[in-house]
Amino acid sequence: MTVFKTFLKVLNKNKFIVILYSVILLFFGVSNMQTQEENTNFISSKPDVLLVVSDELEGITKHFVDYMEKHTNRKEIEESVRDDALFYRDVNYIIFINDHFREDFLSGEQPNIEVKSTGDYQASLAELLVNNYLKVASVYQKMGFTEEEIMQNIDKTLEKQVVMEVTSPLDTDQLEKVAFYYNFLSYSMLAGCVYIICLMLVSFQNEKIRKRTIISSMSDRKYNRILLLSNGLFALLLWLCYVVLSFILLGEGMFSRQGFLMLINSFLFTICCLTLAFLLGTLIRSKNTINGIVNVVALGSSFLCGAFVPMEWLPNFVLKIAHLLPSYWYIKTNELLKTMEIINIESLKPIFYPMGILCFFSVFFVILTNYISSKRRNIG
Amino acid sequence: MNKIIEVANLTKKYKGKTAVDALSFSVFEGEILGLLGPNGSGKSTTINCILSLLSIDEGKITIFGQEMKPSAYEIKKEIGVVFQDVAVFDELTVIDNIRYFCGLYIKDKKVREVYIEEAIQLVGLEEFKKYYPKQLSGGLLRRLNIACGISHKPKLIFFDEPTVAVDPQSRNNILDGMKTLNKNGATIIYTTHYMEEVEFLCHRVIILDKGKIIESGTIDELKSLSNIEEKISVEVNNLKKSIISDIAKWEQVESVDYENGILIVTYQKGKNNLAGLIHYFKENRIEYNKIFSERPTLNDVFLELTGKGLRD
Amino acid sequence: MFHQFIYSLKTLCKNKMLLFWTFAFPIILGTFFSLAFSNIENSEKLDVFPIAIVNNDAFQNRKILQETFKNLGEEGNENQLFTITYVEKEEEAANLLEEGTIEGYLHLEEEAKVIVKKSGIHQTILKVATEEMLQMEMMVQVDIEKEIQENLKNGIALDVTQEYFEQIASNIGHQLQEKMGIKDISSSHLSYTMIEFYTLIAMTCLYGGILGMTSIHQNLPNKSEVGKRVSVSPISKGKLIFSSVLSSFLVQLFGLFLLFLYTIFVLKVDYGNKLFFIILLAFVGSLAGLSLGIFIATFLKANENVKTGVMIAMTMLGCFLSGMMGITMKYIVDTHLPIVNKINPASRITDGFYSLYYYDTLDRFYGNVFSLLFFALLLLLLSMYQLRRQTYDSI
Repeated sequence: MTVFKTFLKVLNKNKFIVILYSVILLFFGVSNMQTQEENTNFISSKPDVLLVVSDELEGITKHFVDYMEKHTNRKEIEESVRDDALFYRDVNYIIFINDHFREDFLSGEQPNIEVKSTGDYQASLAELLVNNYLKVASVYQKMGFTEEEIMQNIDKTLEKQVVMEVTSPLDTDQLEKVAFYYNFLSYSMLAGCVYIICLMLVSFQNEKIRKRTIISSMSDRKYNRILLLSNGLFALLLWLCYVVLSFILLGEGMFSRQGFLMLINSFLFTICCLTLAFLLGTLIRSKNTINGIVNVVALGSSFLCGAFVPMEWLPNFVLKIAHLLPSYWYIKTNELLKTMEIINIESLKPIFYPMGILCFFSVFFVILTNYISSKRRNIG
Repeated sequence: MNKIIEVANLTKKYKGKTAVDALSFSVFEGEILGLLGPNGSGKSTTINCILSLLSIDEGKITIFGQEMKPSAYEIKKEIGVVFQDVAVFDELTVIDNIRYFCGLYIKDKKVREVYIEEAIQLVGLEEFKKYYPKQLSGGLLRRLNIACGISHKPKLIFFDEPTVAVDPQSRNNILDGMKTLNKNGATIIYTTHYMEEVEFLCHRVIILDKGKIIESGTIDELKSLSNIEEKISVEVNNLKKSIISDIAKWEQVESVDYENGILIVTYQKGKNNLAGLIHYFKENRIEYNKIFSERPTLNDVFLELTGKGLRD
Repeated sequence: MFHQFIYSLKTLCKNKMLLFWTFAFPIILGTFFSLAFSNIENSEKLDVFPIAIVNNDAFQNRKILQETFKNLGEEGNENQLFTITYVEKEEEAANLLEEGTIEGYLHLEEEAKVIVKKSGIHQTILKVATEEMLQMEMMVQVDIEKEIQENLKNGIALDVTQEYFEQIASNIGHQLQEKMGIKDISSSHLSYTMIEFYTLIAMTCLYGGILGMTSIHQNLPNKSEVGKRVSVSPISKGKLIFSSVLSSFLVQLFGLFLLFLYTIFVLKVDYGNKLFFIILLAFVGSLAGLSLGIFIATFLKANENVKTGVMIAMTMLGCFLSGMMGITMKYIVDTHLPIVNKINPASRITDGFYSLYYYDTLDRFYGNVFSLLFFALLLLLLSMYQLRRQTYDSI
């Protein structure tokens, strides 16, 4: 109890920095959600397109614009920030229709259209649409129809659609968001736990205080256990904050079985963070080094394991290295859950493996900590 | 004698508490002045005010006949300070630390190198020139701290408790160093709560308590303020109570204590006190082992003046 | 002055924590970036993906679809979109889909059906491509009808032979192959992972503030013991602070220089080719970081550890808002809360590099440089005002 009380006192003494860190990390987690785009559905997979029309909105020009409007998300963006919007993929495709578009077209000339493109999937999709329209239109123009007839024929042609059938009952969009949030949590959790727990431990591991503790009648293991529990309480609190936030931010996505399993997974990860933080805290001697260690460990595992950049975009050799880090197994579980349709013992088997490894990491860290701390019983 | 420092009506308040209360005193050329007082009595605050590190609420401070200000660089050139806490760069070696601080005063490189060598010799750090502060023991670190403060040969040096928690060898080294500096012409102001050091070192003492001067004067002057003139201790076994009360009734006797087989008798006036006591023991056939007489210490004086010990 | 400057330099260069933040950390982080992002832009390009087609009678009857799919599934064809597996029965295709071997399959009955497991980019492409083919069928049909009508007017009954149909189809097919007059005028500098490295530079600039902070601490009696000692020396505070701040600025610039070398030659980062402006921006950015450090050191009443913590937290927050942990963050903030990034030096620095890289004109770049300068000068002036105080209430 004494150790625990002292822990609370030390925590209280450092409350400013603890609160600052926690709030910033929470803020990171929340605001990062806002950047998540919903672009995985057919309906919303319409590319974002900006149409800059200099020609009169009549005849074929209007028809073209209407067509694009129907099949893309037409964006209205001020001229001054157009290029920014393109760079940051707020718009995928910018189409400039010059003032003699209709004239050129009707006279049988190939109309010139200037475009700016991000060159990604969405932009290709937009380009496909534009190309398609122009080709169809020019085919009918060459057949010698009047403008009116051309437009009718285009409509008739372009309304030819295929029927799409989606077999998976999964709400991928919702789960994608949940996974995105929980993947990012690996950064916040790791950074928060390691920073604050190390800060606490350094106070307890201070050379002079350690000497005093070593000669006291409390056993080393018991001492470590109480410290671990006290820190655990703190980590639990941090975890609860994130969980509550996830319910507020994600709503129904969290009430699915997959969401619940991701929550369990994040709990395992929190324990892993705690034990890792404990190990690092035992190794670190000075407060100055904490900040460095935290940033390298947290940012390193987040970048290498796919917390910031989706796992499927990481090069293979990076993922191989990432196998050595707990964050990898945590995120892997989330990724598996995200696309899992049926949840039963059989289908859950593949996620038991990474979850088990996460637990293994925790145990490993605890054993290592105890080993190191018992080695350290002799000073110097 | 020239007045080096003149402090007039110095008052410093901090958070509603008066840390230094209308203090006035002077420091004369060539002396070692001891500022004596228990912890929290305002010694360090007084020094920091004199050095213009702290803002003052009232009063005037004159050094070398000029008013002391933060920008009084001509005055600062001649001052050396040894702070209570060790103030050195962890990143620099012993000699680089001294070189840096000396360099703030002495522009001429050749002169500076000579001064640095002398400072190192004075504190006895010759073997540790290339060490980093982290590698030094507490005592050696204090010596480095001193070398950094005095290497530029200042005319006026402040020592703020330089010997707190220092091993006896370093302590002697430090005290001898201060004497040497004084002999070479430096005026020294020295705060401490170690009585023995003051008696050993200081020409004049100012006793502070709660931000006020309680007494000041030479050591002898202070001692004469006390009623006690002589203190006689006797090792004697099984003394009867009647005898103790007997002695207490004598005319010059201030007090009598008997504890653990040691009898302490203090006298107000002192002539032939020892002889009288020995005579009395002979008459009453009391056997005693050792007997010695001593003058009262400053601690006794202090106790009488403030009602508390210096190290409280 | 020179004496203080040299020794300031010495102490800074011996301080392991400072060296870590200004030299090692940015390089470590930069390495992480390049590891994580090396694939990202490649994976954004269109790639070929597997589909299946149920090769039933209905499909056999649609010559145009058959031909076009064959074309789009042909290996080595520059227009190749798919690798196609033809199956006899729908169940086979369904199995392949379930296994995840294919992204979707086409099944023709009365109408064309595309069956997929989930929605996504590949599925959309399959959908669009199939629709294009259906549309081509339509065009051929329209053309033939028109011909029939026109011939009827002239009293001729047109006989639509297989040959005639194929001729029309190939005619329209050729027309569809023709390149349309679409001209791409986008900048070639669209690699947005560059932003990551720009935020890295911004971070390094701001971390330099920790150096500035230390140099202030060394000289103030109410911040450190050494500061007390220095304050009683006959050197004016202005000179003391100026020389140590100058030395910390130099160390900071040197750290930045190393980072540039590392990112340019090892990580192959493209900063554009306007060298002078890059140096100017790095310089001004460092100044902003330095002034932030000085400002915090002067105004925040806390011990050095807390101050360093605050400095690091602020820097990371600034970099987060400029897109370090998610590139679109900066754009989101820029469009929704522009004021935040207007006063966020990390964002100004990032934006400066971005505008050098992406824009041809320099207006925006100068805007960034001036706002950074303003930021730095404002903080420096405020700090100087505070530092002018010579004595303290308590130390």
